[in-house]
Amino acid sequence: MFYRLSGVYHTRYSATRQLWPIPADRWQIGAVAVLALAAPLYMSDLYLSSYLLPWLIFSAATLALTLLMGLAGQLHFGFGAVMAIGAYTSIHLARAGVPFELALLAAGLMAALIGCLFGAAALRVKGLYLVMATLAMQFLVDWVIVNVNAISGGAVATLQTPQVSYLFVPVASLTARYYLALLWAAIVTLLVLNIKRTSFGRALVAVRDKDFAAAVIGVNIFKYKLLAFFTSSFLGGVTGSILAFCFYQAVTPSQFNFDVTIQLVAMALVGGLGSVIGGFLGAGFVLLAPIVLLNLIARMTDAGWLNVSTTLMAHIPLMLYGAMIIGFLLFEPLGLAKIYDNARKYFLVWPFRHTQS
Amino acid sequence: MKRTHPSPTRRSLLKAAALAAGLGIGVVGVAQAQDKAPIQFATLMDFTRVYTFLTSEYSQGQQDYIKLVNMEGGVDGRPIKLIIKDHASYPERGIAQYNEARSDGAVFFDFLSTPVANALMPRANEDHLPMIAFAHGRADAADGQKFPYVFPAAAIYRSQAALLLQFIDEHEGGLKGKKIAFVHIDSPFGKEPIELLNKVSALKGFELKLFPYPVPGTEQAATWTEVRRYRPDKVIIWGAGPGQAVSIRGAVGNGIAPKDIHSVIWLSESDMQSFTGDTVVGLKRFTAVNTGTSPAILKRIVDKVITPGQGSGDKAKVGTTYYNIGVASMAIAVEAARLATKKLGAPLTGEKLKQGFEMLKDFTAEGLMPPLTITDKDHQGGGWGRVSEWDGKQWAPKSDWSHAFQDVVWQLIREDEAKAKK
Repeated sequence: MFYRLSGVYHTRYSATRQLWPIPADRWQIGAVAVLALAAPLYMSDLYLSSYLLPWLIFSAATLALTLLMGLAGQLHFGFGAVMAIGAYTSIHLARAGVPFELALLAAGLMAALIGCLFGAAALRVKGLYLVMATLAMQFLVDWVIVNVNAISGGAVATLQTPQVSYLFVPVASLTARYYLALLWAAIVTLLVLNIKRTSFGRALVAVRDKDFAAAVIGVNIFKYKLLAFFTSSFLGGVTGSILAFCFYQAVTPSQFNFDVTIQLVAMALVGGLGSVIGGFLGAGFVLLAPIVLLNLIARMTDAGWLNVSTTLMAHIPLMLYGAMIIGFLLFEPLGLAKIYDNARKYFLVWPFRHTQS
Repeated sequence: MKRTHPSPTRRSLLKAAALAAGLGIGVVGVAQAQDKAPIQFATLMDFTRVYTFLTSEYSQGQQDYIKLVNMEGGVDGRPIKLIIKDHASYPERGIAQYNEARSDGAVFFDFLSTPVANALMPRANEDHLPMIAFAHGRADAADGQKFPYVFPAAAIYRSQAALLLQFIDEHEGGLKGKKIAFVHIDSPFGKEPIELLNKVSALKGFELKLFPYPVPGTEQAATWTEVRRYRPDKVIIWGAGPGQAVSIRGAVGNGIAPKDIHSVIWLSESDMQSFTGDTVVGLKRFTAVNTGTSPAILKRIVDKVITPGQGSGDKAKVGTTYYNIGVASMAIAVEAARLATKKLGAPLTGEKLKQGFEMLKDFTAEGLMPPLTITDKDHQGGGWGRVSEWDGKQWAPKSDWSHAFQDVVWQLIREDEAKAKK
C-alpha cells in the first residue's frame, strides 16, 4: 500500500543491489534531502544553529563510531579524543595559513594515525579489555592537550577558529556553516551505507561475529581491524574539525572530554549499533531530548502548572530522560533504528500481517 | 455552484502532514520589545553536573535579589524577568539556550560555567550582548578592549592569587625566603595562576613548588605526601567543589597547620561543615563579597523577601558565601541597567547595558562588596578582595579591601594577547 512493492521488478543485479531498491524509500530519502537542503529557507536561525547543525555533526560522529563499534565490533571509549586530535590539528594548521581543505584532510589523517596506534591494542585484546585500552587513549590525549601549552593555547586554553573558506566559500555565515556540515554528514552517510555492501564491510562483519572464524575463511584480521580503526578515526577526526569550525567556532579541551565520549557511545547504542538511520536517531535523541524536555518543564513552571524549586526543576528533565532511555531499550533492545525498522516492515506488507524478514 | 474536490489520497495526506510538521519546527514567535515589558536576564547554569556545589546557592541569591528589585519597582518601572535554565556545563546545550534566550529578547547573560562561558564569549561579543563571568572564566576577559561585552566584574583568578600572596607578605611574616606549595587541580582553571606566582616569586624572592592533582580532585593522597616531603611554610590550594574538602583533609592529615592554608574563592560554609570541632579553624580564603546577612542589601532581602516567605530556597542558605556572590552579581547587573536607562533611555539594549556597566563607579552594593569601578578598558574592576579566616562557624574578614600586583596581572594579560595574535 504505502510501499507499493507490486510491480517493482528488478531485471539486473545492479538494480537489486542499489542502496534503496524500493521506490517508496527513495521518495522518503528525497523528501528528507529536500527538507535538509531547504532548511535555511524555512527554519529560523535559532533552530538551524542550535538544533539542526549540532544534530548533523554529532550524527556524522556517531556514524563514524558505529562503523567501528557496530560494524567491526571493536568497542571504542576514546572517540572524544579522536575528534579532539582532528579539531586541534586542523585549527593549528589553519592558523598557520594552510588551506582549510588540506587542514581537514590532515585532521583526518592525524586522527587516523593516532587512532591506529591505540587501535593496535585491538589486535591483542577484545571486549572490555579493549574498552580499557581506548579509555587510556581518551585520558592520555586529554592530558597531553591540557598540559602542552603549544596545543591547548596556554593559560586561557581556548583557541578561536580563524577565518577560513571551503572551496572558495567563506565558512562564516550560519548558512555556509550549515551547508558544510550537511555536506559532510551526507558524505559520511553514503560512505557508511556503501561500506556495508562492499567486501570490506562484509569482512568487518565477519571479524565482528567471530574473529578467528573470519581468519579461517581467509579474512586478514590484522589488516581489517586496523583498517576499521583507520577509517573510523579518519571520519572522527574530520568530524571533530567540522564540529570546531562549523559549530563551536572555538576549541577548548572540555569540548572533547570523556563526557563527550560517553555521549557518543550512548548515541550509537540508543540509536542502534551498526545502523545508519540509528546514528541519526540516536544523536538526535541524546542531543536534543534533554533540551526539549528542559524547555517543556521550563514552560510548565512559567505557566504556573508546576511549582518547584529551580534545582528540582533542573533535575526533572534528567529523570524523564533516564526513564525514556530505559523505556526505549525495554521496548526495543536493538535501539531506535529497530523501532523504525519494525514500523517500516509493518507498512511494507500492510494491510497484511506477515513481514517478509 | 459545483466545486470539484480531488479526493485526497491517504498518501498525499501523509505527505502534507509531514511537510506541515517540518515547517512547524521553523515557526518561532518573535518577542516584541514593548514599553514596560519586563527586562529579561538569562541565567543559564549548571544545576546538575559539574558546578552543583555552587549553582543552587548562587542562583537562590540571584532570584531573591531580583524579587526584591521587582518589589521595589524594578528598573525604571520595568520588572526584571530571569530566564533560568540548566545547561549541565555542556557547551552545545549552553549555545542552544543562549540562542533561544537571545531570540526571546534577553539582554544580559550569566553562564556560571567556564566551558560554556568560554564557548559563548566570542558570540556575546558579536551579538553585542553583555555577559558576566563573576570571578571566573578566562583571564583576558578582564581586557575591555578585547572582549567589550564580557565582564568578570570581580577579581580574576590571578588577582585572587596575587592578593593571597600579598596577605602572606604583609600579615604572615613576609614572603622572602619562604617555601610556598601551590596545590592545584590539573586543569586550565587550576593552572591559571601559575604564571603570576612565578612572576611574583621572582619579584619577592620566595620558593614556589607546584603540586597538581588529577581531575576531578576526589583523590589527592599521593599529592599530599609529596607536599609533606617538601615541608612548605605556606600552602595555597586551588580547586573547586568536592576537591576542596579533600585538599584540606590532605593538608591537615599531613601535618600542615590550618593557619598556613590559603584557598581560592571557591570554598563555602557547606565545604567547611564536613570538618568537626576546631580542626580547620584559622584557614584563610580569598573573599570577593562579604558573607553573612549584615550588609544593608541582605537585610532588605531578609525583611522583604525571606521573612514573608517569598524566598526561592532554603532559608539557612541566605547569607552564605555563594548566596551573597549571587546577590552581588545581580546587584551589579541591575545597577548597570539602572544607569543605562537613566543616561541613555529605555528600552534597554545590549549596547546600552554594556555602557551601563562601564558607568559603574565605586559601586559597593550597599556595603556588600569592595568599591567596583569598571571602565571601557578594565572590566575586572580593579581586582579587589580581602582575605577571610574560618573561625569554626563563619568566614571572618582578616584584612581590609585591597588589591595586589595589578601591574603583573595586566602584564600577563598583555602577554597572553600577544601570544594569541601570533
